[in-house]
Amino acid sequence: MKRLLTACLLTALSALPLHAQTAPFDMSPEKPAGTAKPSPEQQAPSPANQTTAPAVAQPSPARGPSIRYIIPQDSLSFSGENGEKTWAVFITEEQAASPVSLSLTYQNSLVVAPEWSSLTLAINNARVITEPVQSSEGQKTLTVDIPQGILKAGLNTFRMATSLRHRTDCTVQSTYELWTEVIPSKTYLSFADDGARRLSKIDDIRAVGVDASGNTTFNIVVPAVDRMAATAPMLHLAGALAVLANMPNQLVNISAGLPNEQSPGALTVLLGTDDELQDISGSFTPITPGAALAAFVDDPATGGSVLRLHGPDWQTVTNAVASVVDPLKRDVSVPRSFLATQTWRSPDVPLMLGASRMKFNELGVETRNFNGRRLRTEFAIGVPSDFYANEYGKATILLDAAYSEDVLPGSQINIYVNDNIAATLPITTAGGEILRHFPIHFTMRHFRPGANMITLEAVLNTKSDAACEPGAGASTVTRFALFDTSEFVMPTFARIGTLPNLAGLSGTSYPYGRSDKPLPVVLNNEGEKSLSAAATLLARMSVAAGRPLEVDPRATANSAVNSNALFVGAIPQIQSTVLTQTGINENTRTVWSDVRGVQPAAEAADTRTEFDQWRERLAGRGWRGQISSFDDWLNRTFNISLASFTFHAGGEEPYTPEQAATLLVAQKPNPAGNGVWTLATSATDEHLLLGIRAITQQDRWSKLGGHISIYKAATDEMQKVAVGEFTFMPTQPLTFSNLRLIIANWLSGNILSFSLLLIVVSALLGIATSRLLSNLGRRI
Amino acid sequence: MRRFGIIVIWLFMSVCVLLLVTLPVNLQTQLIAGATVLFMMMVLKTLKAGGIWRLIALAFGTAIVMRYVYWRTTSTLPPINQLENFIPGFLLYLAELYSVMMLALSLFVVAMPLPHRTSRPATRGHLPSVDVFIPTYNEDIELLANTMAAAKAMDYPADKLTVWILDDGGTLQKRNAEKIVEAHIADKRNRDLTALCQALDVNYLTREKNVHAKAGNLNNGLEQSTGDLIAVFDADHAPTRDFLLETVGYFDEDEKLFLVQTPHFFLNPDPLERNLRTFEQMPSENEMFYGIIQRGLDKWNAAFFCGSAAVLRREALNVTGGFSGISITEDCETAIALHSRGWNSIYLDKPLIAGLQPATFASFIGQRSRWAQGMMQILRFRFPLFNGGLTLPQRLCYLSSTLFWLFPFPRAIFLIAPLFYLFFGLEIFTASGGEFLAYTLIYMIVNLMMQNYLYGAFRWPWISELYEYVQTVHLLPAVISVVLNPRKPTFKVTAKDERIDRSRLSELATPFFVIFLVLLVGVGVTVYRIYTEPYKADVTLVVGGWNLLNLIFAGCALGVVSERGDKRPSRRVKVSRRCEFRIDKTWIQGTIDDASVNGIRVQLLGDLSGQLSVDMISDVRFKVSASGMMGDLPVQVRNVRKQAGETSVGCMFMPDEPSDHSLIADLVFANSAQWSKFQLDRRGNPGLIKGTIWFFGVSMFQTYRGLAYLFRRLTGRDKTEWERS
Repeated sequence: MKRLLTACLLTALSALPLHAQTAPFDMSPEKPAGTAKPSPEQQAPSPANQTTAPAVAQPSPARGPSIRYIIPQDSLSFSGENGEKTWAVFITEEQAASPVSLSLTYQNSLVVAPEWSSLTLAINNARVITEPVQSSEGQKTLTVDIPQGILKAGLNTFRMATSLRHRTDCTVQSTYELWTEVIPSKTYLSFADDGARRLSKIDDIRAVGVDASGNTTFNIVVPAVDRMAATAPMLHLAGALAVLANMPNQLVNISAGLPNEQSPGALTVLLGTDDELQDISGSFTPITPGAALAAFVDDPATGGSVLRLHGPDWQTVTNAVASVVDPLKRDVSVPRSFLATQTWRSPDVPLMLGASRMKFNELGVETRNFNGRRLRTEFAIGVPSDFYANEYGKATILLDAAYSEDVLPGSQINIYVNDNIAATLPITTAGGEILRHFPIHFTMRHFRPGANMITLEAVLNTKSDAACEPGAGASTVTRFALFDTSEFVMPTFARIGTLPNLAGLSGTSYPYGRSDKPLPVVLNNEGEKSLSAAATLLARMSVAAGRPLEVDPRATANSAVNSNALFVGAIPQIQSTVLTQTGINENTRTVWSDVRGVQPAAEAADTRTEFDQWRERLAGRGWRGQISSFDDWLNRTFNISLASFTFHAGGEEPYTPEQAATLLVAQKPNPAGNGVWTLATSATDEHLLLGIRAITQQDRWSKLGGHISIYKAATDEMQKVAVGEFTFMPTQPLTFSNLRLIIANWLSGNILSFSLLLIVVSALLGIATSRLLSNLGRRI
Repeated sequence: MRRFGIIVIWLFMSVCVLLLVTLPVNLQTQLIAGATVLFMMMVLKTLKAGGIWRLIALAFGTAIVMRYVYWRTTSTLPPINQLENFIPGFLLYLAELYSVMMLALSLFVVAMPLPHRTSRPATRGHLPSVDVFIPTYNEDIELLANTMAAAKAMDYPADKLTVWILDDGGTLQKRNAEKIVEAHIADKRNRDLTALCQALDVNYLTREKNVHAKAGNLNNGLEQSTGDLIAVFDADHAPTRDFLLETVGYFDEDEKLFLVQTPHFFLNPDPLERNLRTFEQMPSENEMFYGIIQRGLDKWNAAFFCGSAAVLRREALNVTGGFSGISITEDCETAIALHSRGWNSIYLDKPLIAGLQPATFASFIGQRSRWAQGMMQILRFRFPLFNGGLTLPQRLCYLSSTLFWLFPFPRAIFLIAPLFYLFFGLEIFTASGGEFLAYTLIYMIVNLMMQNYLYGAFRWPWISELYEYVQTVHLLPAVISVVLNPRKPTFKVTAKDERIDRSRLSELATPFFVIFLVLLVGVGVTVYRIYTEPYKADVTLVVGGWNLLNLIFAGCALGVVSERGDKRPSRRVKVSRRCEFRIDKTWIQGTIDDASVNGIRVQLLGDLSGQLSVDMISDVRFKVSASGMMGDLPVQVRNVRKQAGETSVGCMFMPDEPSDHSLIADLVFANSAQWSKFQLDRRGNPGLIKGTIWFFGVSMFQTYRGLAYLFRRLTGRDKTEWERS
């Protein structure tokens, strides 16, 4: 599926012709558009509403029902015996009032037994689809009418869940063959009312939704795209739109002309002075003097709406942008308590800034009674960008659970953090047991700034599965229960910023999210592509920061030597000082110059990694096998590799990316050492746009990390270069307890330093004791 | 000012170490740091680095132990809502904390023990007058005769030396006992002792009632005597000639000195040494106490009175109204009372008496029960930590000495803790196999290494654990009873001159066999669990290993309670002294080769086997070191052996006059150098690895021996034959 994604991305802008074909008929009677009540005035008192209130555009008979795709990702697969996804969809008042039906298309693996397997979809806790999973031959589309009153204006919680059982097999292994795939491009809401297409309030931007592949697109049309004065407002606006819509995969297109087509999941925004907009807004409601500076206007061509920000001059246009941005502003000093993830993962992820505990039901995990073999459930925990407890930290789950006497010892409960195994709790008691707040400690090694997925998996071996009599899958006897009174306990953890830290950028836009000054952005080539790329990146960063980032466009790197800066551009436009400063080899220019088809002579691998690989290859051979199996155990248990045994990370060599790298993101302190420079560069503007669109997608964005991250479009891979040298950047008062934990984390990563320190301090104590004892008590 | 600076620096370094070891670093870091520190300690130990390096090595060890305690406290306790795990888990935790606390206290005590004091002979000019007290209750008169003779023979002006027999076995109360047999025995004892005392020029003193046991008896002696100093010897503790000259000089130097204590040196093995046959090769149990702990206490002016082989100042004793008698260990209690009034003590690390210790396991346990109960009473009635008169170091020292006797509790917990897991599947120590390796194993090795560093030459590896284990079984009830009824225990005199003429199981052996069996079942369960529950094999292996270690102790203890028959009741000491041996009327030149309190072996020139016969009565004549005169001692020939150009004659003493005892005492006890030499010959640190291998070997053999004894007792087969063997 992922391979397809790249292709999809390239065509993301063009509307898929499939829509028309797959859009099913709608049985609900068409209501007169006029019944849609005009929304009460939400904007500043202005005649703005007049533009939307009169239902000027009559639904043309050619136009089908208004559809909204609901799955905010390009593919959705439920694997294993149970799966679920909960997210929220914003519905406008017009949409809530409209008759609506829901289509859902899925396909499942051959081995799923339909009689014991089900797929359910609930909206706001009302179950609208319950379907025995029975479509292994091909895709099956279900269409249901959603009764009035279930969908409400505002956020609506969608919850899709599967329970799959194998036809013949009872092993744990067999559960990996179970899957059900929901097809996002064929899963949508259809609104009968034509008015449902229209957006009327600024807040309705949240209802833009997604397209068939889960993307949200903002087409910002700036006729004066080349004007310097336009750069800041458009980038700023991109951030604001992104924060407001807050969808997982958002793209920003900046162009001088209107897009060809208005498709679901896309919003067209017109930005410019009245004069500039005159040429392109011919078909829209004409700009009347005194009209709202920022408001939706109807698009007669599509029946939808476009957002128009205008003014007599750029100063006013900037103010118009500010009127959208300002309500979203958040004071830097006010920390968020939640990361807004509802549109792709509900509930919002709690941001834990220190010691705290949360019950599973607050984290969206419900009590479950489970009769299968492998139960997986997950929740998310947010940590701040100055989280500095990866090396030493341990979090705890206080598990409330029970297992029946059918469960055999040797079963286990696993905890995964961001898909890395973090703890295993073997079930060792036969005869069933109730666990009451049973502590499972697990490493926080895989935690990263921002949201972290914590998966709890119970792997149950049972006597009845060993026998596996026919129809065993139908058994309804509960084997395992997980109670929502279980708790996640976050200990007090070390907090200090480190730089570079691209994971921090990905998680909370660190360090830019914490600065109240506009972020200097250096765009050397203000073409539409690089502007779109920069806007997409800034939009993503704004979402991560939880507030629109203010930007300060600059022309050259020299103007930012003393401050934070973001550099976006194709490599020919990037100044050498920026490359040097961010640790990128100057010869990257040559590598990326067009020499396609020529394979690099040899891949220079890191000696140390190479050594470890060789050691791994030769492990377990011959008589050394016994020793190396102990060595393996050491490795598994203690995770010790040669890299742990350095006192000091030596000076880093400038990095040269592979030729296949599409995009490179690098971060380093600025030359003055008082700010952070981040560089996003590619061989060409096309690559830049492609790469940035790819990495700002939710699942790839969360893989951003280290000192340098690269994205390879050909293989759809993210790679990172681990942070070597770094500097601390205090974000919290260095209290004793914080300092202690910071030191603990640092020493945990610098094993030899700890040993050395322990020996030196102990030896000094020994000497001091010797002096003390010679001076106290009797002497002879 | 300088001292203050040093204290501040030390405190600062301590805080640094404390901060460092309480950092919550990850497991890898702990493993590497632990291994590195362990390696450093091994290097220092291999190099036999002393002085400042010894303290650096100990500081390394302390850091690891503190890390273990930090981890143990923060990460391993079972959750409190699982009471079935938490309660035993917490008890185990407390037991470990106790062990760590005792390690800390003993580190404090023996971190830098005082070196040997140089000899400080008293100036002959103005010697203080000395009363020698020999308290007795029911000891053999023969035994007393030797002790009295040796006391009388001490090199000291006769007009300043008065020897007192303080007889509690012949009191009026005893003589008028309701039971006629007892009364008769007491009356006879009274008469015999009076006669013996007259003959040896010793004052006999008894009293009306046996009140306050030994302390009361000594206080009675105090009332009747006037000497400046009091020397106390147990009935079986015969002093060497130089005892007083070596000790009284210190009282001149320090007016506030109330005690000079010397070590107790034993001529016979304790039951463990006898049954394991280690007496000649391994340092005795009490050598750790007298060889290093008392020296450590001495550094802090906290060396305490051990009931015998000590000299005390009457003036000081008068301050507290004599010897204290609230507890049944009056000696230590008296020392606390005087220390807390500002009096000083010193310890002289030179054996100046030779005595006996309990020979049977039962009397050994009886003696230890008294010590344990007495120390518990002191802990209860004179809690040292809050005793305002004591200095802080003294408080810690006394705390260490008294709290030591709580060891039966942790020992018992360590014994049964693995069984909780093996038998009931309780998880009372939550840790993974990796954590056991990185924390517990390193801690255990470091702990053993520290003990070896501190006591290496005086205590071989695992021997402390063995002693504690064999005592625990019977001391645990004794300690619990004194905790419940602190005033109940009464002074019981330990029998020391028993003979074991037949090999047999001790009357206290049963529990040891039961425990052994239970632990053996535990080993079986371990194997069963490893095979049937492979998913937790790592924890099972660790716990099973721990249980196996307990089984090794328990097996070794089986040998301890299997009492070997001993033909020779008292040990011989090398003497090498010219003598003449009478064959009929002729005196033949010879050498006394060795001597015991029962007899001697004489080497005579030439083949005289024809002229000697077993059971022949004869005399041995030699120069008495006390008087410089020749003395004749009647002997009976027990065996004659021909050697190249020599005849070796084994003789038994046949003392018929009291003065003969002076001759025996002169032969056996007079020379203090021989005791020092005997001890030094046994000292030597085999090291941790060699010592461990040796111990495991001993343990395997003793397990076999114990089981063989049990088998024979159960079958009752060829009893006589066995006894002969």
